[in-house]
Amino acid sequence: MMALRLRLVACIGSMVLALAGMPVHANAEGDAGSQLLGGLAKFALDSGDPAAALRYTRNLPTEAGQLARARAMMATGSGNVARELLEQLLTGQYYRGQAALLLAELADSRGEPENVRKYLETAAKLANGDARQQALYRLAEIHREAGETDRAGQVLASMEPGYWSALGYMNIAADYGKRDLNPSRALVALRVALAMSEKDSDSRRSDELKSRLLIRAGHLAHKHEDHDKAISFLEKVPLESYSTPQGLYLHGLALSASGNHRAAMQSWHRAKKYPLAYPGVANAWLGTGRGYDLSGYLGQAGEAYLAANASFESERVTLRKLADQIRSKGAYQALVRDARDSNAEWFLADSRTLTQPRTAYLLRFMEQPDAQNAVKRVAELEQIDQQFAQREDSLEVFRRAIRERLESAKTSAAAGNHFNEEIEALSGRINTLNERATSVARQEALRGAALTLADLKMSLGKLERRLAARGQYLNELLTRTSEALERVRGIRSRALRLRNDAEKTLDEIALAYVEEQDHRMAFALDRTEQQIAHLYEYLALQNIERGEP
Amino acid sequence: MRMIAGAQVIAQVTEPVRRRFGVTVAAAVALFVTQALSAPAGFADTLDTEIDRLKADVADLSQTLYELEEEVLYPADTQVAVFLTLKDREGLELDTVELYLDDTPVASHLYTERERSSLKRGGVQRLYIGNLPHGTHQLKAVLTARSANERFVRRAVTHDFRKRPGESRIQMTLDARAPDFEPVVSFQEWK
Repeated sequence: MMALRLRLVACIGSMVLALAGMPVHANAEGDAGSQLLGGLAKFALDSGDPAAALRYTRNLPTEAGQLARARAMMATGSGNVARELLEQLLTGQYYRGQAALLLAELADSRGEPENVRKYLETAAKLANGDARQQALYRLAEIHREAGETDRAGQVLASMEPGYWSALGYMNIAADYGKRDLNPSRALVALRVALAMSEKDSDSRRSDELKSRLLIRAGHLAHKHEDHDKAISFLEKVPLESYSTPQGLYLHGLALSASGNHRAAMQSWHRAKKYPLAYPGVANAWLGTGRGYDLSGYLGQAGEAYLAANASFESERVTLRKLADQIRSKGAYQALVRDARDSNAEWFLADSRTLTQPRTAYLLRFMEQPDAQNAVKRVAELEQIDQQFAQREDSLEVFRRAIRERLESAKTSAAAGNHFNEEIEALSGRINTLNERATSVARQEALRGAALTLADLKMSLGKLERRLAARGQYLNELLTRTSEALERVRGIRSRALRLRNDAEKTLDEIALAYVEEQDHRMAFALDRTEQQIAHLYEYLALQNIERGEP
Repeated sequence: MRMIAGAQVIAQVTEPVRRRFGVTVAAAVALFVTQALSAPAGFADTLDTEIDRLKADVADLSQTLYELEEEVLYPADTQVAVFLTLKDREGLELDTVELYLDDTPVASHLYTERERSSLKRGGVQRLYIGNLPHGTHQLKAVLTARSANERFVRRAVTHDFRKRPGESRIQMTLDARAPDFEPVVSFQEWK
């Protein structure tokens, strides 16, 4: 009974406190508090909530807090403020390198190449770990793009093995591949890149990059008719990678060039299992027919070409449907959302998503930087709208609740007295029980109950003041809520207008992409038809030679 | 003849004019084509600038709304917040955390790769914020994770605490050390 009463008083007390709650702001006190806020800001930034990071770093004096704030500012479109913070950090103690790298990013987005270079050089000198490697990679890229391949190579040579140096060597290999008649320099650069990517701590990223490097090396070797080398590179491409279909096609090509048509066709058969959107798959369909032809199975070659023909025709129908859907539903719905809502179960997602035609087109589409930007814009605006739609609903409910509470604001102050009497009575009973309690456990329980009652009494002491100011406080709250609601509605209408524009841009890019894919299919179709015509022509000539009608 | 001559004169006069007109038209067409070609990029830039401005306003409004919510929904005297940090950053791959207050489920979280990596790099997650009356309470956390020695673990830990006036912050720190990588959760209370 005693416990029940205590709980009742505690509940009533907390409700009263909640009703009359006055503003208390969290602030960063001491080192531990700053660390907590800094950690919260970091998590908010990493999980895609820069607004929360801004909130946590508002009064944070530490350099880590300033860096997180600058990153959050950059993410929320306040580049100028971010720049000021980063300039301060550049003269600070701990984050000079990271600040310089972020300043380079800002300068790049504003089209200031001189500043980009200056900040990257500073970052390369002052930063550590990944930030330094990234700065060096970007410096190497600046040299490479200016045609100074040797200087780019020197910068890359000063880098630690890992993802960034692997990327740098891959790009240099592409330049050598374009310029040199002999592939040896490009192949050496690709081999170095492969060795560098082994040291990447992110294993998934490393595997993906390795696949791309192997494809490039295989293609280069095949182009220069070193088929055995090409085969040895392409055999190492993992089967579950994004580059697998292209790898299988090139593997077949190298095998076929070295005279092993049977093995080549096995690779092409495997490539054919992937959607036609991926590079190499359409050619693998054509290759199968060609392989039968070269092996002397003309009937099967004809069948393979006819199958390829049917497949390309059906793909063109799929592309036309996709274009219609983009026109009717918009590219964001047709390509992004519908691909996301595919029925692939999460535990099968890794193996199945690569074989879904719509996902394949989405992935290929998203390889273009323009498409990435266009989709990002729509996704961001959609997120803002969803977030503020919820907030608008909450604020509406909240405003109604404040109005209702204002109507019934005439609660009697006697309630406080009543609670005081109750607390006094309970304290008296605890004292009586204390005299009778013999065991340590009971005494401890009674001490705890007495402490809670003392807390409640203290809170109740503040209640009178709070109740007196309640009407004014609620009115102030109502004004603030109404203002916030107006601002939320304003933001939503701006977001909607911008989203329409962003979707229009995305639709244009997506339709151009689908049209390009349709041309690609039409070209492949044309090639199969030519092959079929050649085959029939050859058969007809043979029949004539044999004297058959 | 005179007419012809007159026509020739007109022809002489109009030829440069025509040529100039032609040049003007060509320039206008070139300008139009240039503008038409650069229009999508320019439009995208304007759109990006406007989106940036909107994002800045969104961040500003989010602060206001957050303050309003904190003030009204979680008054300081009854506020309780629970945070999660990792101590040993390589010992565990956190999958889920469920939180119970006095046996009532109040929060659960399924971790993404990005969140896991953020926690490993010193990020702090606010798992729960709510209200509790003064007095004693029990916090229970159930976590599932993969340990560095490839074991799947599910552990439940409890922590008794007293809610007193003022904000209460409880920090849960997760540790899993070699060689057995057994998860250990410690609690720290902040005022």
